[in-house]
Amino acid sequence: MSREAQLRKRARELLADKCVVMVLGYRPAKREGAVQPAFITRPEDADALVFDDRCGMNLAAYLPRVKHLGRIAVVAKGCDSRSIVGLLKEKQVARDQLVILGVGCEGVKENGRLSDACTTCAYPNPVICDEMLSDNAPERKPAADPLAEFEKLTPDERWQALADDVARCIRCYACRQVCPNCYCPTCFMDASGPQWVGKTTADSDNMMFHLMRAMHMAGRCVECGTCSRGCPMGIDLMKFNRKVAKIVKERFGAVAGLDPDEPPALAAFDPNDKQEFIR
Amino acid sequence: MPQDSPTDTAANGAFEPKIVAFLCNWCSYAGADLAGISRIQYPPSIRVIRVPCSGRVDPFYILEALQSGADGVLISGCHPGDCHYLTGNYVARRRFAVLNDLLAFAGIDPGRVSFSWVSAAEGERFAEVVREVNERVRQLGPNRKLVKRECG
Repeated sequence: MSREAQLRKRARELLADKCVVMVLGYRPAKREGAVQPAFITRPEDADALVFDDRCGMNLAAYLPRVKHLGRIAVVAKGCDSRSIVGLLKEKQVARDQLVILGVGCEGVKENGRLSDACTTCAYPNPVICDEMLSDNAPERKPAADPLAEFEKLTPDERWQALADDVARCIRCYACRQVCPNCYCPTCFMDASGPQWVGKTTADSDNMMFHLMRAMHMAGRCVECGTCSRGCPMGIDLMKFNRKVAKIVKERFGAVAGLDPDEPPALAAFDPNDKQEFIR
Repeated sequence: MPQDSPTDTAANGAFEPKIVAFLCNWCSYAGADLAGISRIQYPPSIRVIRVPCSGRVDPFYILEALQSGADGVLISGCHPGDCHYLTGNYVARRRFAVLNDLLAFAGIDPGRVSFSWVSAAEGERFAEVVREVNERVRQLGPNRKLVKRECG
């Protein structure tokens, strides 16, 4: 049975058996050739579900918003499953409220090419799941460190490159809306008392936003690339995400979204953490 | 060591940095106090903000200081193991480590943002840290990155 047929069959069964109240997956969008998240609540609608290399949105992002409905079944690629682990760690969803339908992922396509984030993916298969809908995807060899070239530039060149990139930001917050890590009821960007970050698209405010966003991703971002793909201005958000993930891995030996019992890296500490930068 | 005062620099036109210092209430602030009552001289370029613990310093405060025009930021707390709240500075240390590396990556001059541990008994050390930070920021010159200007 094909992966998609298996997905539809299991979704239908889970809904008919009242095992879950909703299946969270993907369906074709109105726009030709695009897919969108599907929130299936009736067994007869299960045939709308699809899964292929266009399904790049991280469905874990929707879990905190639909969890109040009851038990949810969710289709999870490797990155989605790691985001779910992150949500479990941070107690945003309960494990027994989820049925995780795992799928192996060969990487998602963006404009016909393998998405940039997927070129460095080391976890194409779910790290946590209740049942697999397909065989495991073959292990991929992640591309070499994509930041290596950039980090060879001088500090001024790096600043200029990043400043030019984020200067295009229109502050639509699409990156935040699609991110499974961004579940705060009031984002620091929206808070008005105190107003943390200037809301203008001045270069300085844009850079503040992106640096603080990166700080909030440290130890939590699973580098799924949904923010990068969602950005209407094509800002290379993965540069920030990869850097903080790299820092956290090098300094604290932690990789986000693998072990639900391990606290997030920045909520924990080791008395022997390196402190060569502190006088 | 020659000491700086605003009048000196105004007279010779040298750059006098503005440095915002976040000091934890229990150690570094008391250390600064000790430096003061011991009449130890250090550059008057720092503006002290007292916080309950170095763990209270959100990375955002540091960036905000730079955005608001500070030339340097100093964050100082209790030595590891001595935190009044037991582990506040350990947790802070991880955040600072990430911020430190992220700022270096983004090309903000290393040395704009400094971290130190100073205990309540280390008045002389506090003065030494401020002298060092002041000198480093002075050499870097005025902060131009991240500063919010009137327009754009």
